[in-house]
Amino acid sequence: MDLSHWNKKCLLGIEELSSTEIIQILELAKLFKLEMDDAYSDKFYLRGKRIVNLFMEPSTRTRIAFELAAKSLNADVITVAEKSSSLTKGETLRDTALNIQALGADAIVLRHSSPGSPLFLSKIVDVPIINAGDGAHEHPSQALLDLYTIQERVGSVKGMKITILGDILFSRVARSNYWALSKMGAHVTFAGPSTLVPKQFESMGARVSHDLKEALRDADAVMLLRIQHERQSSTHFPSLAEYTKIFGLNRDRRKWLKKGTLILHPGPVNRGVELDSELADSPQSLILDQVTNGIAVRMAILYLCAGK
Amino acid sequence: MSITCLRGGRVIDPVNEVDEVKDIYFEGDEIINFRNKKSKDSVKIIDVKDKIIFPGLVDLRSHLKNISGGQSENILSISQSAAAGGYTTILLMPDVNPKADNPGTIQHIQDRIIKHSLVNILLCGSLTNDGKGGTLAPLGSLKEIGVTAVSDCPSTPQNNQIFFKGIEYASMFGLLVIDLPRDISLSKSGSAHDGPQALKMGLGGYPRIAEELFVQRAISISKSVNTKIHLTSISSGGSVEMIREAKKKGIQITADVTPHHITLNELSIAEFNPNFKTSPPIREEADRKELINGIINGTIDCIASAHEPFDEHQKNVEYDLAPAGVTSLETSFSICYNILKQSDQFSWLKLVKLMSHNPAKILNVNAGCLSQGKKADIGVFDPEYEWVYNEKYRKSNASNSPFNEKKFKGKIVQTFVNGKCIFKN
Repeated sequence: MDLSHWNKKCLLGIEELSSTEIIQILELAKLFKLEMDDAYSDKFYLRGKRIVNLFMEPSTRTRIAFELAAKSLNADVITVAEKSSSLTKGETLRDTALNIQALGADAIVLRHSSPGSPLFLSKIVDVPIINAGDGAHEHPSQALLDLYTIQERVGSVKGMKITILGDILFSRVARSNYWALSKMGAHVTFAGPSTLVPKQFESMGARVSHDLKEALRDADAVMLLRIQHERQSSTHFPSLAEYTKIFGLNRDRRKWLKKGTLILHPGPVNRGVELDSELADSPQSLILDQVTNGIAVRMAILYLCAGK
Repeated sequence: MSITCLRGGRVIDPVNEVDEVKDIYFEGDEIINFRNKKSKDSVKIIDVKDKIIFPGLVDLRSHLKNISGGQSENILSISQSAAAGGYTTILLMPDVNPKADNPGTIQHIQDRIIKHSLVNILLCGSLTNDGKGGTLAPLGSLKEIGVTAVSDCPSTPQNNQIFFKGIEYASMFGLLVIDLPRDISLSKSGSAHDGPQALKMGLGGYPRIAEELFVQRAISISKSVNTKIHLTSISSGGSVEMIREAKKKGIQITADVTPHHITLNELSIAEFNPNFKTSPPIREEADRKELINGIINGTIDCIASAHEPFDEHQKNVEYDLAPAGVTSLETSFSICYNILKQSDQFSWLKLVKLMSHNPAKILNVNAGCLSQGKKADIGVFDPEYEWVYNEKYRKSNASNSPFNEKKFKGKIVQTFVNGKCIFKN
């Protein structure tokens, strides 16, 4: 495959990618997905490479998907979680990364609560850095797999109306998805309570809506985000029950959607809060496809960053 | 005693409304009128033709944690840094280590200053014990030992009663309170201005309103107690408007802005560089313009450096974890000159007044003036000198400046304190 459209060392975010680069990653992911289904194919693309997953925040899906992706490419993969790292002994992220580099890592996959931490590390170490989520800034691999999943179902997102609903303010998924979808020609609406979806998001180019019915009406796809009421947003709206009442996507509100509107969720889903099971498990839901595609997309990312 | 003459410079002395080419003479540490001297006195001539000569700058917000030696910014290095920036008097905020909240500590810091400093370093005592806003510090005793003002900067008491009583009590001693207006409940996780740039970057948390509410608090209390309050490092355009209205009503509010807030806007944090992380944060272009308007039309009384040095390992970390604050003393005058000269209402008198006479007046210290009999604290600026702020010029032990590697036109080339040349480029 011609990989000449990819000249980056790191994957720090979607904002900095061109649509050509996005297409490059997704094309490669498609190839890996096909190969994954072929049990007889040996994928030694990253044999001998050391991938270090440096996860400074809890993660299930992303961590496992990156591990499986690395293993599928025959890389040696090591996962360091915050509690088992020297960061608990007072070592700074910078020193931890320098040590990982000294140990011969070929790529670092970083999950960290500080926005901009992957960029920060990329200036300190020579090892390629892959952002697996940095605070409320970006979560590029998630956005790429979301885009991949929608495209797999409908072909192209160009001209599609996509509503991202929930806690946008604290969501890296929302931001990365905005960049990915809009760069590929979709129209993105951010919807949710005014305190979690400030009007200022319009300066990024997104449409902002605080009216659920209006936000759902024309949507070709709805992406729901988990409400993190136990964390930052506790002061931003009254309660989960109130959220569910005003913004939850339930059976009754299903009729506000067009027929066949796609349902996405990056997980973990709080069933009965932002989304009812009936919709989560319906044929129009792509939630589990998202998870599966996460591996192929991350294989592509690892290959492009660590394999070239 | 030998007499020194600064010959042929353009002298800017706002107090005496002097802006003319003339010679300045000083004998020992005092400015003199040479005509009264006998001609046999020997005179050392320093040629300062084409240079700007002004009373040494006065800063009313500098921070220094470390009062011992070592490689961190210390008393000597901050004073060298001040001298290189044309400052001859600086006011240290009370967040030193240990905190300047009791006479013993203040005496100790003063002793070290006398021993190590090249410039006049004044002390600001804590308004509350440990600067934590819980209980009032012994303000009367602090005044007695010689603090120039009191403040909890870079914080401020969140409890309104403590703040109110602190102002009332300090006013009994004629002790100036300096306030950095910030409602913590509205800016707790604040690492950046809540503007479009920070929103995109997943940062934010320090909105204008966190400042403006406390600007209003200070205005109301100043009015109620009928006493002076100085607001430091104003960052929001809305605050400027409130201060303007308060001044119109005769309320005794004064305010300063920093050189970085009038130079930069929110876009400067785009690369997550902690050297652009300040408290309060750099805001939007509209705010920057309002701050400059405030300076030009006199709503803002002065410019304060807000010099806050950090070691490289402290500052060069993840953006949201990095402490807020930047070094500033060495670049302040060059920056303000370059920014303010763009205004058609710019004058040298105005600039020097903002950075020398006005802060001296607010602090009620004997500085900022070139009259006969005054201390020979003098700055010399070469408006044509081109330079880049880097290792070569840096005197500070800290390098957390937003203006690293920035090109400037105009530089402080010589600084005198008490008639002694303490900096020469």
